Amino acid sequence: MHKQLQIVVTSLFVLLLLASPVLAKSFGAGLSLDQTTSLTELLGNPDNYVDKQVQLKGLIVDVCEKRGCWLYITGDQPFEKIRVKVVDGQIVFPLEARGKQGTVEGVVEKFVLTREEVIKNRQHHAEERGESFDPATVTSGETVYQLRGTGAEINL
Amino acid sequence: MNWRKWNYAVHRDLGFLCIGLTLVYALSGIAVNHVNDWNPNYVIERVAASIKPLPPGLVDPLTIPQLLQQLGESGAHENTFQPDADNLWIYIDQRMIKVHLPSGQVQQELFKRRSFWYPLNFLHLNHPKKAWTWVADIYAAALFLLAVSGLLMVSKKTGLKRRGLVLTAAGVLLPLLFLQLYY
Repeated sequence: MHKQLQIVVTSLFVLLLLASPVLAKSFGAGLSLDQTTSLTELLGNPDNYVDKQVQLKGLIVDVCEKRGCWLYITGDQPFEKIRVKVVDGQIVFPLEARGKQGTVEGVVEKFVLTREEVIKNRQHHAEERGESFDPATVTSGETVYQLRGTGAEINL
Repeated sequence: MNWRKWNYAVHRDLGFLCIGLTLVYALSGIAVNHVNDWNPNYVIERVAASIKPLPPGLVDPLTIPQLLQQLGESGAHENTFQPDADNLWIYIDQRMIKVHLPSGQVQQELFKRRSFWYPLNFLHLNHPKKAWTWVADIYAAALFLLAVSGLLMVSKKTGLKRRGLVLTAAGVLLPLLFLQLYY
C-alpha cells in the first residue's frame, strides 16, 4: 500500500516538473471566423452588425483590472475603440494584454442607455480605477455598441 | 474488511489527497469573494507626474520619446493610443502612462501580479481550462465522497443520533436559510 502511494505521489511530482508553464494566448473559444471586420466599418454602420458575429484585430488599450471581464480594442482610425465584454469568469483577460496586439471575436450588441445609466456605468468605472468622476459631465443618454466576446488571441 | 473500515479508509485517504486543493480553493475563495474591496490578482501603483502641456489633437509619434524624456524615461515604448484629442496613453513594459495633453498632467500605472494570490486564483477560477477542468471536477466529486463518507462515519458519541445530527442539520439549514432570505 505504501509503495503504491509513493508511486502516485512521485508520478504527480514528475507531472508537475514536466508541465511547462502555461501563458495562455488563446482565450475562450479562440477564433473561428476567416475574415476580420474593420472597426471603422463597424462603427460607421453599427446597426448592420447588431447580433452578428465579427472578428476584430487591433491594439488592446485597456483591460478590466479586477476581473479581466472586458477589454477595449482599437481600429485603424484615431480615437477609435470598442469594448469587448465577456461573461465574468468564463474568459479572463490578463492586465498584461494592455498595449498588445490582439484579435477578438464576438457578437455585436446595442444598448440604448438613459443618462442615469450612463452615469452609473461611468461612476462604477471611475471607482474601479480610483479616479474622480463628475456626473454633470453627462448631459444625455447614449447608444452604445459593444462586442459580447466569445474568444480572442492576444500576442502576450 | 467490512464497509465501515472501507468507508474510513476512503474518507481518510481522500482527505489527505484533497488537502492541497482545498487550501487552493479555500484561500482563493476568500480572496475573490472580496474583489470589490481589493484587487486579488494585481498590485497596481498609480503615480502622478507632470510634463509641459501640449495642444490637444493627434500627437506626432516622433515627439513621444521627447515627451517620455520629461518623465525620465529612456527606454522605448511599445505602443500608444489616443482615446480622444485631449488624452494620450503610452504603453511601456508593465506600465501604462496616461497623459492629459492640455494640462500636462500624467498618471503612471504600474501593475505587478500578486505572486502568491495570482496562481491560486488562476487555478480556482479555472483560467487554464483544458485538463485542469478534469482535475477540478474530480476534486468536486472527491468532496462529495468526503461528505457522504463523513456522514457514514457513525460513532457512539458523535453519531447521527447525537451531535452529528445537530451539526449536519445546521450545515444543511444554513444554505437553505440564505436561499430563503436572498433568492
